Amino acid sequence: MFVTRLIAQRLVMALFTLLLVSFLIYAVLEILPGDVATRILGRDATAQSIAALRERLHLNDPALLRYLRWLGGVLHGDFGESLVSSRRVLEVLAPRVMNTAFLSAYAFLLYIPLATIPALIQAVRRDRPVDHAMSVITLVLLSMPDFLLGTLLLLLFVLAIPVLPAMSTVDQTSDLAEYLRATTLPALTLAIVMAVYAVRMLRDNLIEVLDADYIRMAELRGVPARRVVWRHALPNALVPSLNVTALNLAYLVGGVVVVEKVFGYPGFGSLLVDSLQLRDFPLIEATILIAAAVYIAANFLADVAAILLNPKLRTG
Amino acid sequence: MSTVERAAAAPSLWTKLAETPLSLRIGAAILFLHLLVAATGPLWAPYGYSQMATGIPLAPASLAHPFGVDQLGRDVFSRVIHGGHIVLLLSLSGTALGLVIGSLIGLLSGYVGGLVDNVVQRLLEALISIPFLVLALLAMVAAGPELSGNPLLVVFVVALVYAPRIARMARTAAIEISTRDFVTIAKLRGESAVSVMRRELLPNATSILLVEFALRAGYAPVLIGSLGFLGFGLRPPTPEWGLMISENRSLVMIAPATVIGPGLALASLVVGLNLFTEGIARILGRTVRLGVQQ
Repeated sequence: MFVTRLIAQRLVMALFTLLLVSFLIYAVLEILPGDVATRILGRDATAQSIAALRERLHLNDPALLRYLRWLGGVLHGDFGESLVSSRRVLEVLAPRVMNTAFLSAYAFLLYIPLATIPALIQAVRRDRPVDHAMSVITLVLLSMPDFLLGTLLLLLFVLAIPVLPAMSTVDQTSDLAEYLRATTLPALTLAIVMAVYAVRMLRDNLIEVLDADYIRMAELRGVPARRVVWRHALPNALVPSLNVTALNLAYLVGGVVVVEKVFGYPGFGSLLVDSLQLRDFPLIEATILIAAAVYIAANFLADVAAILLNPKLRTG
Repeated sequence: MSTVERAAAAPSLWTKLAETPLSLRIGAAILFLHLLVAATGPLWAPYGYSQMATGIPLAPASLAHPFGVDQLGRDVFSRVIHGGHIVLLLSLSGTALGLVIGSLIGLLSGYVGGLVDNVVQRLLEALISIPFLVLALLAMVAAGPELSGNPLLVVFVVALVYAPRIARMARTAAIEISTRDFVTIAKLRGESAVSVMRRELLPNATSILLVEFALRAGYAPVLIGSLGFLGFGLRPPTPEWGLMISENRSLVMIAPATVIGPGLALASLVVGLNLFTEGIARILGRTVRLGVQQ
């Protein structure tokens, strides 16, 4: 089974990369020259509070031992204790991750039509004014930072169509309707950033497919034009964009950091920014490790999909 | 008669210009405008970048204050003008540093191969696995509070984020070029690895690296802006555009121009750089995929 072995190989590589990332994060924050306690508390801290923090973080132990102890904990689902709130990191993290998962799923749902419909219009009307106009719009959107796009959407929706809230606050008691109201604008921002990236590639793929012989055949057989596009061209044009979708998923991991901050949404991204600002090292380590894990998983899945979809690797 | 002959002998500058892709020409024009403003702006900007009481705070945009006045009474238009050279300088130097480090690592790793290459690849992959903004934020915090807000740290962080990604491209190029005959001949001549890299690999990878540089430089203002926006980049009152958007964002409903102004500057710079990148790539016969996702 060549395919199974190839996938297993990729899995081992992905896990190894994750292990390396865990070491990098820990090394950068806690092993790099300079006293960790001073870096967290700043220069003005008293000797007493620094000594207390050193004790709490076991900074007097060798660095490698501390890393292995932390890694051991992580493997058992224990990310340690938040320095600021003294709660378990996992307890702080879990609801935030759930919020971001909801936002990301919503963004992905919006992303699919936002990417395919403009690409279809452009491909069918290629080199016409509509195609050129949409190319210009995509380029402008592609060049717009997500925090700017989010702020402009906020301005547009809150001033012109005042149905959506400016601040995306939710808590444990929020129901689905409140969640949807709160996440529509951030999800739309993320979806647009992802869609404009995919549209250009999808347009080119579609044009290539529409020129293929089997599409000409279908047309000659008298298959209705609409059916040719939706049933024959689109599925074949989508396969090469798998890679783009994986890259988009990877973008999403970093994108939520900015976009959640723009809308004040209590997700994983805003937690990361807060923990960085407060220098809550255990929380920083856990959030970045999770971000990297999602990124690595996305790339792994794209690799697996590419392997499974590649007919050359199909055996028996 | 003679004019026709001359035209046939050497195409005029105008025909040459007409042959360059339209995107390159528009991109170059936008970039030229940005460079001009960045270079001369501080001389003619109506107000200083931290000058207060220039008008009524949060007053709507007017001819005297095209981008409005922020809550501290500073003229946003002047601040945008003063910010130009900061954004350009930091973006270009950060990307250039990343290009030098990245191509050095990539070319060497790809050419030497074997165990060295394997180790370097794993390390680069680990670095790339941390989303670029998250990696930048991590580096900012790891540098400690004393260095935060330092422009040199921003340059270094941009380089750190880009170097692994550029190295990956350079490595692929090096492996591909290494299989060609002229490299084998150079090796048989007894040239050292460094000499082969400098005289054979680098010249042949230039077009790849050039496009890579243009692509990365295009998103460096966004990266720097994002860091400023989140409060991890340059410090106030530096007129960095992302930082300005973040400062004026809370009052965007009252004074939208104070956000739209710096936003327009940032977006137009990136549009210019992106068009330029696309044009350069087309001339060099390469495909390039624009987007923060890369």
